[in-house]
Amino acid sequence: MITRNPLARAGQYVALAAYLVFLGFPLLWLLSTSLKSSGEINSLAVNLIPEQFAWGNYPQALDRQNLIRSAGNSLLVSVVTMVVTTLVSMPAAYALARFRGKLRAAGTAWILVSQVFPAILLIIPLFIVLRTLQLNDTMFGLILVYVTFTLPFTLWMLQGYVAAIPRDLEEAGSMDGATRFTVLRLIVFPLLVPGLVATAMFTFVAAWNEFFLALVLIQSPELYTLPLTLRTFIGLEGQTQLGPLAAGAVLATIPSLVIFGLLQRRLTSGSLAGAVKG
Amino acid sequence: MTTLTPTRPPGDPGGPGTPGSPETPGGVPRRPRRGTASRAQRTEAAALVIPATLPILVFSVIPLVTGIYLGFTNSTLRRNSTSEFTGLENYSRLLGDTFFWESFRIGLIWAVSVALLTLVAALGLALLLNADLKFKGITRVLALIPWAMPPVVVAIVWRLIYSPTAGPLNAGLEAVGLEGVNWLGDFSTALPAVIVVAVWSGIPQSTVLLLAGMQQIPIEQHEAAAVDGASSLRRFWHITLPALRPVIFAITSLDFIWSFNSFGLVYVLTEGGPGGKTMLPMLFTYLEAFTNRNTGYAAAMGNVMVLAVVLVLSGYLFVQLRRGKAVQS
Amino acid sequence: MIRNRGAAVVAGAFALTLALSACQQGSSTSGEGGGGDGGSSAADGDAVTLTFQSLAGQEATIAETQRLVDEWNTANPDVQVEIVPAAWDGVYDKLVTQFNGGSAPDVIHFEAAGIRPFAVDGYLADLTDYISEDLRSGISDGVWESVTVDDAIVAYPTMMQSYMVFANTDLLEAAGVEVPTGDTMTWDQLREIARATTRDGVYGLGWGLKSPTATVMSLGLGNDGTFFSGEGTDVEIEVGDAELAVPLAINEMATTDASIQPVSLTQSGSEVLPSFYGGQVAMTVQGSFQATNIAADAPEGFNWTVLPPLEGSASSAQSANPQTFSVNVDSEHVEESAAFIEYLMEPENLAALNYADALIPTSEQAREALAGLTADQPGWDQILASGENLTAPAFLKVDLYQQWNETVATPALQRYLAGEIDLEALRSEMTDGWSQVNRG
Repeated sequence: MITRNPLARAGQYVALAAYLVFLGFPLLWLLSTSLKSSGEINSLAVNLIPEQFAWGNYPQALDRQNLIRSAGNSLLVSVVTMVVTTLVSMPAAYALARFRGKLRAAGTAWILVSQVFPAILLIIPLFIVLRTLQLNDTMFGLILVYVTFTLPFTLWMLQGYVAAIPRDLEEAGSMDGATRFTVLRLIVFPLLVPGLVATAMFTFVAAWNEFFLALVLIQSPELYTLPLTLRTFIGLEGQTQLGPLAAGAVLATIPSLVIFGLLQRRLTSGSLAGAVKG
Repeated sequence: MTTLTPTRPPGDPGGPGTPGSPETPGGVPRRPRRGTASRAQRTEAAALVIPATLPILVFSVIPLVTGIYLGFTNSTLRRNSTSEFTGLENYSRLLGDTFFWESFRIGLIWAVSVALLTLVAALGLALLLNADLKFKGITRVLALIPWAMPPVVVAIVWRLIYSPTAGPLNAGLEAVGLEGVNWLGDFSTALPAVIVVAVWSGIPQSTVLLLAGMQQIPIEQHEAAAVDGASSLRRFWHITLPALRPVIFAITSLDFIWSFNSFGLVYVLTEGGPGGKTMLPMLFTYLEAFTNRNTGYAAAMGNVMVLAVVLVLSGYLFVQLRRGKAVQS
Repeated sequence: MIRNRGAAVVAGAFALTLALSACQQGSSTSGEGGGGDGGSSAADGDAVTLTFQSLAGQEATIAETQRLVDEWNTANPDVQVEIVPAAWDGVYDKLVTQFNGGSAPDVIHFEAAGIRPFAVDGYLADLTDYISEDLRSGISDGVWESVTVDDAIVAYPTMMQSYMVFANTDLLEAAGVEVPTGDTMTWDQLREIARATTRDGVYGLGWGLKSPTATVMSLGLGNDGTFFSGEGTDVEIEVGDAELAVPLAINEMATTDASIQPVSLTQSGSEVLPSFYGGQVAMTVQGSFQATNIAADAPEGFNWTVLPPLEGSASSAQSANPQTFSVNVDSEHVEESAAFIEYLMEPENLAALNYADALIPTSEQAREALAGLTADQPGWDQILASGENLTAPAFLKVDLYQQWNETVATPALQRYLAGEIDLEALRSEMTDGWSQVNRG
């Protein structure tokens, strides 16, 4: 909106600042807590800047409760989920965008339905299915489930990107006698790369952040993903060590934060418009 | 769903069809656009879709159907237990289950508040980000922070902030002479406090979508209105808001569904306490399935939740469509 | 360009294969971790590997457990034990899925109150014949009773906690209160001290009652408040005045006397400790295990002591809800697992574990060993003395206790302590809730 009134302008800046404090302060506070010694935390003093920077919380967090192993697990699950989801959804997204009719109707319907059903209704039978396939409590099983659950969003985004590629290009390719596969590989795929990268990153973050499915489907502590391990840090009656807990939380946030930093221009430049308009 | 026509594909501001890309052979005569959907084409479509369909069938459709069916059985997670079809028994028992309905009520309050408050907050932020202010770049980055945080981390952070004895929020209140509040422990503030956290973490996503919608409104409309002397408030009301209606509908619907079905945040933040004040239906159902081990009964609760969501959404859609028509005529 | 893309595809496929094979490896290790096929590890020829899921959470206990396991592994090359560290938080739900999904470890660490449903289901091995004579006689019948299901002993009881009152001696002194020295302390005495020390912005007592049920059930025994009678599925609940005496007393201190810090009632025990260190509360009721944390975390110059055990209207009894070691019935090595637990139960080993966690050993021999270890350390005489008063409570014999605890008793008690409902409503919520839980 265009406002030229200086007073309104000032008001806008004040409002913007308020938003930024609200949205950004929690991360700041987490950082601050992660650098406080247990003595300072126990003293109940409330300072944003720690009296003394206790960097030791970070090695301590990494040392405790196999945070590193969990981070490794999370990385493995997220990367493989990202790769598999992207590979699997690419052709399907293309088909959804290019072949109208029943297929498209069914695809869209499923994408919608999958949003409405609560995970709890799925998790019980999913647990049983995985048990039957001997995939319960395995990384592989978790990855398969993550692939399935990230597909709706990925398909939706990708088919938007495909639809934006002019058909003429493909048709021109076909005229030259190339097979559909060649056309896909040589013409569609290169144009799709930026979209693929963005979608893949979203998939990575979704898998990296996921908690509920892992909570039920992974039982062995050595297979815990990062969110599961962080939760065991909190403890109920046990001793809560807030410094290392906060340090672990910061470490768990960094990958997603970096990815969002990379994607931010795309996210805020209005380029998602297509996905919304549907 | 209508045809997707993004102005430009996300991720590539330049647009993929930029002339000059090496593969563009110019001036080739066109084939007729839509040939008859031949058998070959159908096979081709099937080949393209199968890799995605397989996991969806095994890990989504089959479990979903099984899950719905489980709601009509007495299945449990006990050792060597057998499950029998019990018809509507679970549901008649559910009718008298006061704990469940209380949690259901809390879930509705929670989901509606989260959806509406997120919308209002995100709309405000999107307007500010869309205005021609300074520091746009950095604000846009910062505004995305909550989105990037895993729900478990969000819960950890806000536990720190709400801490009654060592939290910055209470310290701030006390600094200005107000009394501190036991945010997550007090019965009257626990649910609102948790709602605020959910709104906080939902703002970035909604803002991004609203921003995208706003940038599609032709700037000429605003300028013409401004020339006519319309105040910015009027312009917002008569141009921006109507144009955003489909986006707003999508956002609030999705937020409502996601909140109603959300689990991780509250599970870590309060575990449903104090005294069940934040016991969302998902949490309650989880406990029934994995603490009480009554999976059949829990699935029945899941079915009721789906029904409720579908009902609320159809109502919302109905109202929306009628209003849309009224505006058009 | 085309060639490059081809290379990228190949590289991508290669990365995927690598990642997938890594997953496969991950899943096969986990399979080994599972009890079902926790069989021979290839590396050591025919050596057996046992998985031991430990809930040790405090640094000292983790280290002590590791030391004992290392010792065992050196002495028994044929039976190697691998610790699987887990956490108390949410462990019940985890065990439900572990057992049901066939991924439970061989040796399982838990507590008597929680293990019963799994024993009833048949997931736990009958250990009756593996238990040595010394151990059998060293642990009281009542405690053995708490881990017996259908005449089978399904767990070794290991460590017990009692609720203790920790006091800041400087604040007591400043308020002119003498530190009680008797064998026990009545509730009236506690109330008196709390009232006297509530002054100048200091509360007499900080009591972490976020999860109030265990405290109420345990201290309730001192008033003969048993809540349940019967066994298994044939159980009656009774919530009478004796059962409600503890919540009533807490409520009176919190409201009438205003001597309990209100915030603490909604916090966990650990969350109250900073207020205790900071001198905002003069006393705090905690599980005995917190003695270790207080000793480690209290600021320098902080003077504290443990007050005598609380005595109710009938006795100073508290519930013995011992931690347990059980064996997965599906384990291929029940015998080896039992032998490993027997080793952990040897007096000096059990004493060492209990010392690290500031808990009370279940066996007499280990208690004696521990008394020798701790002769001149603060608090330990009181902790060990309170061990004498631990008796097996009725609720340990109730199959559905855990469900009632989590879905009925805890929220109801939280509501009562927050002043949302009165004592009558608490009584009816607890009884009505039981009939809803027990309907099946």
